[in-house]
Amino acid sequence: MADTVQEFVFNLTFPFTRTLGSTLSTFSSALAQGQIIGVRTGGRVIAPPLEYDPDSAADSGTDWVRVGPKGTVSTWTWVPEPTNLHPLDHAFGFAFITLDGADTPMLHVVDAGSESAMAAGMRVEASFKAPADCVGRIDDIIAFVPAADPSPSEGAGEPFAAPEENDITEMDAYCDLTYVDNASPTTTMWAKALMEGRIIGQKCPQCERTIVGPRGMCSVCAIELDESHVIDVPDRGVVSNFTIVTPVQYHGQTETEPFVRCSILLDGANAVIAQQEILGITASEVRVGMHVECVWAPANERSVQDIDNRSRGSGGDAIIGWRLTGEPDEPAENYLNRMM
Amino acid sequence: MSHQPVAIVGIGQTHHKRKRADVSIAGLVREAAQRALEDANMDWGDIDAVVLGKAPDLFEGVMKPEMYLADALGAVNKPMFRVHTAGSVGGSTGIVGSHLVSSGRHKRVLSVAFEKQSEGNAQFALGGGKGASIGAGGAFAPFIRAYIRRSGAPEDIGWMVAVKDRLNGAKNPYAHLKLADITIDKVKESPMMWDPLHFLESCPSSDGACAVVFTDEDGGKAASKPPAWVLATAMKSEPGWYSGRDAVNPQAAHACAQEIYKTVGITNPREQIDCAELYVPFSWYEPMWLEAHEIAAPGEGWKMTQSGATALDGDFPVNMSGGVLSSNPIGASGLLRFAEAALQVRGLAEDHQVGGANLAIAQAYGANAQFFAMWAVGSSLNPLG
Repeated sequence: MADTVQEFVFNLTFPFTRTLGSTLSTFSSALAQGQIIGVRTGGRVIAPPLEYDPDSAADSGTDWVRVGPKGTVSTWTWVPEPTNLHPLDHAFGFAFITLDGADTPMLHVVDAGSESAMAAGMRVEASFKAPADCVGRIDDIIAFVPAADPSPSEGAGEPFAAPEENDITEMDAYCDLTYVDNASPTTTMWAKALMEGRIIGQKCPQCERTIVGPRGMCSVCAIELDESHVIDVPDRGVVSNFTIVTPVQYHGQTETEPFVRCSILLDGANAVIAQQEILGITASEVRVGMHVECVWAPANERSVQDIDNRSRGSGGDAIIGWRLTGEPDEPAENYLNRMM
Repeated sequence: MSHQPVAIVGIGQTHHKRKRADVSIAGLVREAAQRALEDANMDWGDIDAVVLGKAPDLFEGVMKPEMYLADALGAVNKPMFRVHTAGSVGGSTGIVGSHLVSSGRHKRVLSVAFEKQSEGNAQFALGGGKGASIGAGGAFAPFIRAYIRRSGAPEDIGWMVAVKDRLNGAKNPYAHLKLADITIDKVKESPMMWDPLHFLESCPSSDGACAVVFTDEDGGKAASKPPAWVLATAMKSEPGWYSGRDAVNPQAAHACAQEIYKTVGITNPREQIDCAELYVPFSWYEPMWLEAHEIAAPGEGWKMTQSGATALDGDFPVNMSGGVLSSNPIGASGLLRFAEAALQVRGLAEDHQVGGANLAIAQAYGANAQFFAMWAVGSSLNPLG
């Protein structure tokens, strides 16, 4: 077993979208115009507005109120070393700020220069982006800064007349997440074998099934399997089932044409390896019962970077796919029930 | 097991659509919950505990939405539970809600399940964010091919289910798809999506939510509208993958059905159950689940479809609501099945009502056909007499 744990690094990105609903649409549309609003409900002004009274769950209604742009910090924390995910690139405070005209605090950023400048009770005011850059996101307010003039905000607490229709009803919510999978000992063995151009399985000493790709256990007997149970498995077998997928064009999709994914029962194994690619024939020619053999990437081009602890049987970029051996097909009925 | 009787006194759902551009996620779940409360003649304050279910968080990219939705669903200062069992989660959410009452812990419980598929992409999420995702259709297509081969069913069975469920959906005001002019030819000629499944044999991608209000026996007796009584619940799981696993005929499905039938005293499901809502996201799952839940003998499920027995006017109607094939807000889809079964025995299903329905079952499954949830509901606590 390797002394150091192999890490597989993955990056997940997706452009999620949020539909805002009427309350948050009203808030966002006003914010894009430089106006912060709240809603009067249950005898107090909640800002930013919620669709519901958080105490009673009753609908909040549409009694909109102008709030800010100045407010008072009620509590705060200091971020001395921001990461690239933080809203500012220099040290700043996160704070609860109760805007003038509001009864509840909102969470935002205070750009105060130094931690010593922060205090509960400090007066701050919103610093907006240039009007052309405001899109109704909460970061249209770059930050709150110490108020030059601590006097109350003009017009705060007065009614806000919302337009009939809001300009902004949706918002992008881009996800960009990098995470690390620490390869299990079993995954490490599997990946190492792939790099050597070998397929390994684990043979359960109790039920004598040979399981490919290895999982470190026999799911039937519920016993742990380790290096001592590893055996080499032939890199040839029979297609036991397949699907032809018409690809949906989602963000990150790599396929544009219908593609085949096969389950293959390797010779001498008892578990199929799923989602394998067949080379050299068109999708409509794939049949259950076909004999296939592995097509390995050249040794210096093999990679296992895209496998993880859950991709059982994935060949990574070590296996290019599988090609027909030319032997006569096996009867389909002998294989079709081998889904797993 | 000793437990208290549980009544369903409120049911609500959203209008399901490809994209509910008019509501936030909070607005979506509240729409269903408020309809359920109205049906139960209750307000938020009457509820003792809230159960929320949905499928993987990556579908919308909102992690742990129960935190964001606790106050939207009136759970402030009350217990809030999050349930997740993949596609079966809606069913599990209903069952967990019913258990909070049957255990005697709470008197009135609100279960809510949702999905807002338009905020993300299910294929992306199911593929773990990588390219070449096979999606649910690609995962289940091999099971379906195996079923067709082993049962010897003619190829038009899947097309018949697709037509039947869409005709039922056209009678359901909340359904996403209302394809009143669907025909066998249209299904057969629609694009092949996951061979052997055509586009029209597959569920849509929907935004939607469903909510159910449970009460104890007193609450059921005092309800202003007829209640449905929860007669039995079952949830079973099995490993998604092991050598030799039969995914066409999962043990967990059989175990679920056997427990339900034993608890209710059902000895002949086909005769004694009046109608069923089964989780059929792809057409062939109707005959497959009829067999795996022991309503039809092995290899005989497709004959029920073929004979018209599962049609709304058949002797064993299945998916009166239009089913998952007509609306698929994934996390809510299980609870929609469970709620429709309850609507049927309450006699409130309007244009898709099965006459005289007194005993109905609902089922949902999830992940690699490995999580199963099922319940039986009745118009009384003893519908078999």
